[in-house]
Amino acid sequence: MTRALLVTGGGGVGKTTLSAALAVRAARLGHRTLVVTVDPARRLADALGIEYLGSEPAPHPSEPNLWAAMLDASASWTAIARRHATPEAAGRLVDNPFFNAATNHFPASQSYAAAEEAATFLDARAWELVIIDTPPAAGGIEFFTAPRAMTELVGGRVLKWVTGASIPGRKLFFDRATKPALRLADQILGSGLLEEIAQFLMDLRTTYDGVAQRSRQIESHLKKATTLVVTTSDPTPIREAVKFFRDLPEVAARPTAVVFNRTLPEDWIDARPGRVAAVFAENLKRWGDESRRQRDLRTEFEARYRTPLSHIGWQPVAPTDLDSLESLVSEATGFDLDALLS
Amino acid sequence: MTDERRLVIVSGKGGVGKSAVAASTALTAHRRGARVLALAMSGDGGGLAAHLGVPPLEFEPREDRPGLSTSVVNRSKALVEYLQVQVGLPPIMAFGPAVRAFDALASAAPAVREIVTMGKVLWEVKREVWDLVVVDAPPTGQIGSYLRAARSITELVLSGRIREQAAWMEHILAEPGATNLTLVTLAEELPTSETVEALTWLRKEEVVGETTVMTNRLLPPLDHASANLPSGRAGDAARLHLSLYTEQQRWLDRLPPDIRLPYLFGTMTPTEVSALLADTLEEVLP
Repeated sequence: MTRALLVTGGGGVGKTTLSAALAVRAARLGHRTLVVTVDPARRLADALGIEYLGSEPAPHPSEPNLWAAMLDASASWTAIARRHATPEAAGRLVDNPFFNAATNHFPASQSYAAAEEAATFLDARAWELVIIDTPPAAGGIEFFTAPRAMTELVGGRVLKWVTGASIPGRKLFFDRATKPALRLADQILGSGLLEEIAQFLMDLRTTYDGVAQRSRQIESHLKKATTLVVTTSDPTPIREAVKFFRDLPEVAARPTAVVFNRTLPEDWIDARPGRVAAVFAENLKRWGDESRRQRDLRTEFEARYRTPLSHIGWQPVAPTDLDSLESLVSEATGFDLDALLS
Repeated sequence: MTDERRLVIVSGKGGVGKSAVAASTALTAHRRGARVLALAMSGDGGGLAAHLGVPPLEFEPREDRPGLSTSVVNRSKALVEYLQVQVGLPPIMAFGPAVRAFDALASAAPAVREIVTMGKVLWEVKREVWDLVVVDAPPTGQIGSYLRAARSITELVLSGRIREQAAWMEHILAEPGATNLTLVTLAEELPTSETVEALTWLRKEEVVGETTVMTNRLLPPLDHASANLPSGRAGDAARLHLSLYTEQQRWLDRLPPDIRLPYLFGTMTPTEVSALLADTLEEVLP
């Protein structure tokens, strides 16, 4: 049985580094572990000291039990088209001028592709633990909602609205073009554009059965997974963590713990500087004020969400060797992160 | 602020203080006596409202203090207004399936959604009711598709009303001195590389008149030349400060020196943050 640990949270909170740290720790506790990221910034590769990281899981050169992979999120629409559409429709989709634009308009496709890949690794049953550094979109929540959103999109929600039919053919679509709605769109957008959009949406519709079936499998994996929310004690990431708790869909289990990264020592608050030069006393005072601000935000969060908290101290520079990565996890205070790994 | 500058679009990676900078830019102009509209372009504009200390924003501009108005561009309302004002859609149709269908089609067509939102923003500039419109814009990752929307329409759409409007919009955005894009960033790895990428893209596309980079939350130097670091907490705080400071300087080297904003230590409400940032901006903005 492969267990899944989803590491989620907004952008820039140190999610990828923590995922790498958890993977190193799990591997050293003796579990066959795969860590997967979609972060294109090479952060996982850098943290683990790996030269090249591709979409196929590769064993770590020096750490037994540890595998790593990096998914290419930009290839997501292409992958979805190739996997689930007929070859002919897939070819047309990839060449359609809206294809790239659609990726921007429907960013959930990247989260969906990541979820699909991650599910493949869980199905492979080659690891005891798969740690997934989820995409930060919408504070991490999009990873959980993407399968349903994607099913709805290719299910022709857009076409249904326009035409009132669930699976319209091309002819029906343009017959309906006499309706005021389409006359309006035509007048504003120009008819060439309308025709290309119609073709795009109809080709996309052919992926429906494949996407719908795969989405149900992904959602069943998500329900069983353990979730860890990562944040810092700053207003924006905390707002995203709050949003995560509030908007969590029924496909996700309640997070097991929240990790507050970059935490300042609480004993700096109102600390006496001792006999030191004024410049150092003043510096301790302002960091003490900052530590108080952090603590107040955490206290407010804890009171509302009643979830175990784990604290990781502020590392000015991201760790780049396996030992210091492991110590991020082993030296965390509060909730014991090792409990998530076995 | 020069007489010609009419529009400041504030963008940046999530969490770098974009809304705080947008609010303090608006406050700075307001303190100098300008009639200002602070406008949020994504979500409900909660961040901008909190930093200005005003009630939740509304679609119609609302004068919260004499000379300082706020609003939020809600996409579906912007769409209805667009269809009514620009296309002459009768009000009765504004709530029916026509609008919903257009919205659905527009979500599949590149640049259409963006141009409707940008259209509302730029219309507020064109009205000439305000001396300055300050926009709390979508994050750096998405701002390109908004700034480029008018040109994308011109390239993709051969006919239709929307193409006609794209021309004046493109002109306002690209007018040097009139429109400023402010990119807020931190001296950290990811915000820096995203900003550098955005600057490269902006140089290539030339869609916006001028760009300013504001680097936020910069630590002050710690003068410790004469003394060894003490032991105890004061020493720990000094070591943390010095390594964070060194790390910031490393990323700062890759960013343009335009405008730098201080780290604000300690417990502070959003309105205090924007007031303090406005103090700094009053000194450095032209």
